[in-house]
Amino acid sequence: MPSWSEFEPFIVSGLALGGVYALSGVGLVVLYRATGVLYLAFGAVGAMGAFIAWAMIQGSVPGWAAWLVCVLFGGLLTLIYGMIFGPPLARRDPLVRAVATLGLTLVLFGAMDLLWPPTGGAVRSISLPTDNGGFTVLGLNVTWTQLIGLGAGVVLTAGTAAFLRFTKLGTAMRAMANDREITATLGVPVRRVEAAAWFGCGILAGIAGLLLADLVQLDATTLTFLVISSLAAALIARLRSIAVTFAAAIVIGLVHDLLTPITALTNYRDMTPFVLAAIALLWVSRHRTVMTRSREEA
Amino acid sequence: MTVETKGGAAATAAAQRLRLLRRPQRPAHLAVVVVFAAFALFALPPLMSLYYTGYMTLVAIYSIVTLGLGLLVGRTGLYSLGQGAVLQIGAWTGARLLFATSQPFPVVVIEAGLVTMGIGTVIGLPALRLRGLYLALITLMLAGAVTVALATVNFPNGGGGFTGYNGTSVHIPPIRRPSIAGTDPAYYRYAVVVALLMFALVYAHLRTRPGRAWAAIRQSEPAALAAGINTTFYKLWAWSLASFITGVAGAMLAGQARYLYSINFSTQDSIILLAVALMGGVYNLWGAVIGALLMQLLPAILQNLGVSYAWLTILFGLGVLQVLTTAPAGIADQFPKDARRLGGLLTRLARARRPGPPRPPAAPPGTPPQAPSRGEAT
Repeated sequence: MPSWSEFEPFIVSGLALGGVYALSGVGLVVLYRATGVLYLAFGAVGAMGAFIAWAMIQGSVPGWAAWLVCVLFGGLLTLIYGMIFGPPLARRDPLVRAVATLGLTLVLFGAMDLLWPPTGGAVRSISLPTDNGGFTVLGLNVTWTQLIGLGAGVVLTAGTAAFLRFTKLGTAMRAMANDREITATLGVPVRRVEAAAWFGCGILAGIAGLLLADLVQLDATTLTFLVISSLAAALIARLRSIAVTFAAAIVIGLVHDLLTPITALTNYRDMTPFVLAAIALLWVSRHRTVMTRSREEA
Repeated sequence: MTVETKGGAAATAAAQRLRLLRRPQRPAHLAVVVVFAAFALFALPPLMSLYYTGYMTLVAIYSIVTLGLGLLVGRTGLYSLGQGAVLQIGAWTGARLLFATSQPFPVVVIEAGLVTMGIGTVIGLPALRLRGLYLALITLMLAGAVTVALATVNFPNGGGGFTGYNGTSVHIPPIRRPSIAGTDPAYYRYAVVVALLMFALVYAHLRTRPGRAWAAIRQSEPAALAAGINTTFYKLWAWSLASFITGVAGAMLAGQARYLYSINFSTQDSIILLAVALMGGVYNLWGAVIGALLMQLLPAILQNLGVSYAWLTILFGLGVLQVLTTAPAGIADQFPKDARRLGGLLTRLARARRPGPPRPPAAPPGTPPQAPSRGEAT
């Protein structure tokens, strides 16, 4: 068992990773609640955005412009997908709608493979200027990017909760989560609210992709499937509570990184989100069957 | 089949449903199957280069995997995003047993299927309490976990111990093949025979009680429950059967590849498997063959033409979107319809042409969006 000092740096990185997972998980939950679509392409969209940003930076475009493009790309692509494939699938089972987003995942995956084929040795990375600066707290070195990772998770979770609670659009989204038809009869512009949810989720995908490309690495497979981890957090919250999503994401990020120094488990640390989510789901199902057809889900 | 319930609308409805479920025997279909099997077994091997023989062997093996997936998705309504992981478990078990024992190859194949079935059932028992989306996601999670675990454990390469992996060995022995099928064409035939047996096994299930129970479950689980079907039992049965045949496919894959490396397997395999199964068609056994052809033969052809595999990934993605939005029954259902429509169009054109002056050709026969006619996924 390694000593405590070996764990210390991983607390910081784990919290940062957890923050990004939280931000992604919250995006997934909000979109799912508002539109009934579990957006499995979240990671691929973020990865594609990060690749575009990387390519722009290589072409000596100023960094801020590239990051902005990355985030906007996520938002717009998600919005377009939602506008094209949302309506024809609106009455289908949540499962079918989720599998359809896997189609988008594959398309993006192929596109990334085509445009930026995996390089043998050279590692692509995006470095944000916040990597260099940092500060020390309780003897731990923290970079600004790590702080942004955790901060973004906290701020966006709190912000989304407040948005859903206090704004008109947020209230409309909550209403749609309960019943789309009734919400429509009450005069809520359902399609417009859905569009807002798609766009917001896509923006979060772009931000998450950018941060993960910096914190982890810029690689299509890694980024696409890393966001399965945030899906795990959303699942632990049963795709409902954003507070639980946040907590679960932080736990997943921490456990994942804290396993790194333990030699026997370090190779298995990528299993953390899967195992935790599987246990949580099975635990939930022990007590009550998770229904798909019930009102609460749609 | 007789229905032994007494009177009432419910009994009539049940009788009607059973009659609907029992499709009449069609000798023409049987003939097509026999011709197809004979062609795959005898006519194809001499025609193929070694390159394509290898890929066609993979087609035969993967058609078993897509068959299992089609059984789950199309017949029972259980979406699994983890079949790639089940295949890995089967391949690992098969390779381990082939190295560890000197049992005949078919015995090992069946054992690998049984072990995979055992693992699948143990996982399925709790997982099947979840439904729909949650079941799909938990299988995706398990697929991810298995891929990570096997990347660390590694596939057996003739080493000792439980894992059978020796990282330092220089001369890695190949995984053995059956004595009657040592060469590639012979192994291809062997794989086709195994695939035919698996298709027959599944077909036998579909024509009898479990098949009818699965159909009822897919239409509506509460209704199936109300009709007195033990839904948990039959869902678990479908799950175990799919795990068994996928495990068999895994052991066959070990013999085909001869050397297994964990980098050859990834989580996205599971997703691509679902994609091709849906594109091929999950409501039809032919769909499994089409799906396997899409997944294994198409890349081989494209590679020959120098086209990047990435295009295929894009195609699969678009295919999934197309299938889910417009043609839920996949190519296996769509192709005959489109062919018939094309035939009709050509006949009309020919008829129109004979008496009158030549007309401009009609619009190309596309695939007009089609209302989901039967067996829409629930």
